[in-house]
Order: sequence, then C-alpha cells, then structure tokens
Amino acid sequence: MLPIRPESADCFHCGEPLPAVPSRVVIDGASQAFCCDGCASAAQWIRDARLGDYYRLRSENAGKVDVDSVDFALWDRDDLMRDHIRHIEGDREITVLSDGMRCAACAWLIDRALRREAGVVDAGANAVTGRIRIRWNPARTQLSILLRRVASLGYRPFLSGGEAREEARRVERNQWLIRLGVAGLGAMQAMMFAEALYLDTRGEMSMATRDFFRWVTILVSSPVVFYSGWPFIAGMLRELRGRRLGMDTLIASATLLAYGASVIETIRGGPHVWFDAAVMFVFLLLAARMLEQRARNIASAQVDALARARPALATRELADGSREAVPLAALEVGDIACMAAGDAVPADGVLLEAHASFEEALLTGESSHVSKQVGDSVFAGTICRERPARICVREVGANTRLSQLARLVEQAQAHRPPLARLADRIASHFVAALALIAVAVYITWRVIDPSRAFEVTLALLVVSCPCALSLAIPTALSVAHGALAKLGVLAMRPDALETLAAVTDVVFDKTGTLSDGRPLLADVETFHGFDRAEILRIAAALERDSGHPLARAFDGVDDALIATDVLSVPGFGIEGDVDGVRWRLGRAAFVGADGRDDQSELWLGDGTRVIARLGIRESTRADALDAITALRELGLRLHLSSGDGANPVARIASALGIDDVHSRQTPERKLAFVRSLQNEGRCVAMVGDGLNDAPVLAGADVSFALADGAALAQRAADLVIAHPSLQRIPETIALARRTRRVIRQNLAWALGYNLLALPLAAAGFVTPWMAALGMALSSLTVTLNALRLTRQPKVETSAHRERAATAMPVTTPP
Amino acid sequence: MAILLFLVPVSIILLGIAIWAFIAAVRGGQFDDLDTPPIDILRDDDAEDLPRHDDRAD
Repeated sequence: MLPIRPESADCFHCGEPLPAVPSRVVIDGASQAFCCDGCASAAQWIRDARLGDYYRLRSENAGKVDVDSVDFALWDRDDLMRDHIRHIEGDREITVLSDGMRCAACAWLIDRALRREAGVVDAGANAVTGRIRIRWNPARTQLSILLRRVASLGYRPFLSGGEAREEARRVERNQWLIRLGVAGLGAMQAMMFAEALYLDTRGEMSMATRDFFRWVTILVSSPVVFYSGWPFIAGMLRELRGRRLGMDTLIASATLLAYGASVIETIRGGPHVWFDAAVMFVFLLLAARMLEQRARNIASAQVDALARARPALATRELADGSREAVPLAALEVGDIACMAAGDAVPADGVLLEAHASFEEALLTGESSHVSKQVGDSVFAGTICRERPARICVREVGANTRLSQLARLVEQAQAHRPPLARLADRIASHFVAALALIAVAVYITWRVIDPSRAFEVTLALLVVSCPCALSLAIPTALSVAHGALAKLGVLAMRPDALETLAAVTDVVFDKTGTLSDGRPLLADVETFHGFDRAEILRIAAALERDSGHPLARAFDGVDDALIATDVLSVPGFGIEGDVDGVRWRLGRAAFVGADGRDDQSELWLGDGTRVIARLGIRESTRADALDAITALRELGLRLHLSSGDGANPVARIASALGIDDVHSRQTPERKLAFVRSLQNEGRCVAMVGDGLNDAPVLAGADVSFALADGAALAQRAADLVIAHPSLQRIPETIALARRTRRVIRQNLAWALGYNLLALPLAAAGFVTPWMAALGMALSSLTVTLNALRLTRQPKVETSAHRERAATAMPVTTPP
Repeated sequence: MAILLFLVPVSIILLGIAIWAFIAAVRGGQFDDLDTPPIDILRDDDAEDLPRHDDRAD
C-alpha cells in the first residue's frame, strides 16, 4: 500500500504531480493538496460519504478525475440503450466498462458509492475485468445521475461492445468450474471406495461386497470420466480427425482404457479394477488446465476492456441539417457524424470542418492534440477537442482502424510462443514413440506374465504421459503474462519475456521516457505591481480552451477568469479579452518583451506593457530515480540516447545518475548505437514511447513502450507499459528472469521424471494408481511451480526511502 | 457388513447434494469475482447509520 504522506508533491487522490497552485481540501484533519478540482471534489465526496477507508485500502493511486465530464443525458434514452439494458422485475440493469479501476479498493469504492445513491437496487464492480454492474429502479433515479457519480470519482463509464462474447466467456468459465467440481467430488468418492478394496489385503472381503463396491465406483466415476473428462475426449477426437497425436489423445485414451477395462473386469469379476487411476488422472489434469486458463483469462480481460472502449452512441446530421442520436451500429458509410468537444469519434471518416483537433491517444499514444484540416482522415476512438466537428463517415464497425488494431492485439495473444510450440512438437513425437513402446511392453509382458500385461501397459501409458513436459512452458508463460498484466504491462510479442530475461543493457531512447512531458509552472516573475494569483487567473483563462500542450501547466488554477474572443496564433501565442483588456500570452516577441525566445518561458502582456514572465519546466517522472536505481541493482548497464540537445539531456542524466549519455542522436545513429552494443555481444532492451521511434525499438532485442493513461496496446513495441510508472521496467525484467528460472526448473523436472518413470513402469514396478498419482503430481508440481510467479516480490530500492522531491526542473528545447 | 448397504447409498446421496450445491453456487455467480469481495471485510460497514441521499432530500 502506498504511504499517504500529509505533505507530498503528488495529488492526494490520483498521485499525479501537483501544479504550482494546487487545490486544497481538509481530509481527516489534515490539509491535502490536489492536482485539480475534479480530484479535490472526488476526495471531498469520499470523505463526506465516510468512505475514506478507500485511501487506506487501495494499493494503487486513483485515476485523475476529468472535470469536463461527458454529458450522460443520452444514456437515459430508452431507444438508444435498448440493446444494453436488461429489464428485471421492474428494475433495469446495465453493465458498463471503466478504464480507471486499478485495484480492488476502486471496485469497493464504486460499489459503495453507487449503493448510497437513491434508487440503486444493486451494484457490483469487478476490478479484474473493469466492469461495473448497476441495477436501478427507473421510477426513482436515472442512469445518467448514477453514471455521473461514477465519473466524478474518476471512473469514466463506457458501454461494453462485446456483451455476448463476455457472457459466453463467463458461461465457459463456469462450465469448467463445474467440471472441476464434479471431478473433484466424484474422484474423492471413487478413491474412497477404491481404498476400501485396496485395504482388503488378505482377501477377506466377500465377492458380493467387492462387486457392490465396484458397481458403486462405476456410478461415481462415470460422470468424472465422461462429463469432467469431456474436454480431453473432444480434444482426442479433434486430434484424430486432424491425424496428429497430441496430449489429449494420450490423456483420453489412457483414461478410457483404464475406465473401459475396469468396467469389463467388473462385469466378468476379474481380479483388478483401475477406476481410481482414471478419475485421479482426469481431476488432477483438469485442475492443472483450469489454473493455466485462469492465468490466461486475467491477462486478456484487461486488454479487452480497453480495446473495446469506444462510444456506443453517435450523433447523425440529417439532410435538412437537423441532428439525431443513433446507436453506433446504425451509423453507415456516407453519413455525417457530429461530435461535441470531448466526444469520442464514432467511426473513421473525413473531416468536414476547416480546423479541428483530436486527441489520438488511444490509437497512437500521442497525448497532445493533433490538428487536422478539412479533408484529413479522422479515426474512431480518437477524441474531439476544443471545438465541435463533423465528419463524413468512411469506415464503420469492424473496418475502423481501432477495430483492426484490437484484432492485432488479440492475434498477438493467441499466438503460441516458439518455445512452447517446440515443447509441443517434442511431446507429440514422444506420444508416438510412447505408443510404440507401449505395444512392445504389452507383447513382452504377454510372454513373461500374461495376467499383468494390461496393468503394466496401462501404468506405462499413464505414468509417462508427457503432460508435465508440455505444461512446463505454457503454464509458466501464461502465469507470467498474468502477473505482467497485473503490473500493467502488455506483452505484444509472445517471446518478449524470453528475450527480456537475457537483457544486459537498457537504452532509454528519449528524454521523454524519463520526464513525463507535463509542463509545470516553475516560477512566475511579475512586473508593474501585478500579483501572482491575478496573473495566473488571466493566463489560465486565455489558455483554458486553447488545447495547447502548455495549457496543462495551468490545470491547477481553479478560479480562472473568463476570456472572450480568444485567438490562437500558432507558433507565437494566444490573445483574448479578459475583463475588457486585450491580453497577449506567448513568446517574447509576440508579447513585445525583451527576452530570449525560449520555449521554457511564456510572457504575458496587455499590448502596451509586459506584465509577467512565466517559467515553464518539464517534470521528471516521479519514479524515474527509483526505477533507475532498481535497474542498476539488477546488474544492467544503462544508456541514454536522446534526440534532444546536450544540456537538457545532461541535466536529466546527471539527476538520475546515468553515465553513458548520447545527445542529439538521429534515429539512424541510435540504431547504430544499439547495433554496436549488440556486436559486443550485449542483449539490448530499448525504452521509448513507441511512436516515432518504432524502427529504433525494432532494432533492439526487446523493446518497451511507455503509455500513460489509457492502455495503448497499439504501440510498436514488444512490451507496452500501460501503467504510468517507470518502476514497471525493473519489475518486468525481474519477472522475466524468474520466469526463465521457473521454465528451466520445470523442463528439468518434467524430463527427469519421464526418463525415470518410463523404465520403472516398463519393468512392472508401478501400478496404475501410482502411475496416475505420479503423473498428475508431476503436472501439478510444474503448474504450482509456475504459479509461484504470481507472487510479486516488490523491487525495493534504497531510493524509495530516500525519495524526497519528485519533480525536478528540466527544460527541453523544441 | 449390512451397514454398508445403508452407508454407501447415504454417501452417494451426500455426494449428489454436494455436487448440486456446488453447481448452484457457480450458477449463482459466487465464483465470478474472487478479487473484490475479500476487501469488503476489511472495514466495519457503518453504511446503515448514514442517511441515504433520498432520505436527506426529504
């Protein structure tokens, strides 16, 4: 849990660096600072609602609260929400996605906050899948009121698109659980009865009792073999149709053989039955598979939630100029769609306005707005900024760029890593060889001792099933990916983790990866007797709607004045009327000041005189120092190779203690640098933002892209860090190393086990139940060993404790 | 050994009840979210003595 310090340089609610003038609210007797009004009022509400425990329970900071929240009125329209709302006994129910939920405490908070609202019948939030379920009474409240409450706490709701698929996944998971439950309970009973038979060592049991026990065992083991074991049987049928031998064939045939032979023995009253082997086999393998699947699902649910966050409603302009709201699915190619400022673009299209700007963060990760001219392409999922815009729709639904990218992510996830495929191939050959050996052993034993031939062959088949071998790598990898997803890291290339474990050098591609790009007000110098607060109010008023990246420096000014007739002069500054005075804010020359023309300074003037100089600086990421220290403690060599000028690069490098610094690097030279390291035999990890540095990232052995805010699964890198924390890099590398270690242990164990068990079984030293237990235990050992990866040892460094100031003044030239 | 004729069917019935209960729990959504509920018990729930928003408005 994060320590909550009364006086920290970060926002109390969301943990972002504070602006020069933070909002303040008294929480629990201490005055706390906030980065913006949204966060402050969220915290205030949480305190008033006596939900302050949220701050104690949470393990991650909250998301920043966006004050200019969306208009939720459309969510109340029944005709539009028809497909998303379920009617239950007079109540309504909806499931929405939210991107801000980061830990269980968020879910707890949402849950409590909604239940406090009038008219809410039931509410539930799931932090793992990012879903919020709300059931309300339409007579007493409206959905828009509830959603505004959720949004005001920093969790912006989205409609989830794949409701049906979501439901299908849940049903499938539940079916697996039921299979496992039936197998567990059934196997327990079957083994109990089998035990009764085994304990009769002196053969005192009467034949009638013995047969009674056997028939009862058939009764309890049949559902286990056929219902719980159905995935294996179905897998065998699939493999046989595809004419290949796989794990399922071996598992299912061993199970069916054991079961079938036992039934025959029961009917003709033979000396042995092997029901216990069959049920144990099914139960333990099912458990191993379930664990593997669970790890996989956690990893994918988080990508899904973000990739599918897109608007559910669109505004269409009709031929007569009137507008109507329509569901996204009703939008067609050729329609004209309108967006208000702050709305997400519903489809790909061509801009009809002369000027507009869009935030393309979801597609490209570029957090500053992109200006577009009439005729430019606009993409679904981007957000319209500053002013309303209209587009002519060109692509809808699955053809939009957003959908295509989401598909790419899914493909990357479905891809089996080469190492795992190799293990599968080996296992497949192994199965074929094993079948031959089994036949040979059977024939041999027919000659030596016909009565034991079947039993020995069965034991051989069961004990030497290479399940552990084929589980060794996938379980470790999927558990590791699950752990990665929990860290907020998405692996875009399946073998990224393997490479990462071997990394010796880390190259930071840009200064921007170490600083967070957020402008901060460094200092304010006023002239002619104006006071600082006055200046900030005027500047904030002018910048408020400019959409200029520098505007964020004034985010914390809450009592800004109103500016009218604001005119933006690109490259110079901005001018507008505030309280009847025409102000100019911008470069020295624009305002008429006699100063250096430096982007790190803004000047404010009223046309006749210069009133103030505002120094702007860029803050380093709060955790950069911790992360660098942790990386060094992992024994990695660190380099900084930046396109920026020598001064700012040197300043950042010395602040963080990076020795090997290269400034003014072109992409070609960065690539050459990476190559030269690789020629020395080093394995290089590159950290960039995945935007315009894709070729350099691709040249490295493995690459990281940092993505603030919404997870940008689309960046060109092997690993995308969706969580705004550099600390994730050392954590990921440490995890990769542990994964490699676990994979090696698993392989050694699985191979050793099989090599040992095979001759023992062939020699007749192993009975079928021992075989099932041994085989399954070896599979379980492998899986449990892999599950150790979910436990995260925190990368603690000395810098953690010594960390004082989080923001350092650093300026970057254009 | 006649007691077995009684006890074994009883164990089978108990097994059936256990499976039925498990299936009911799965279908009832008990296993849908294993991460959020644990945090609920970490604090005393004093929600009852707080006025709900609608009551306050009255």
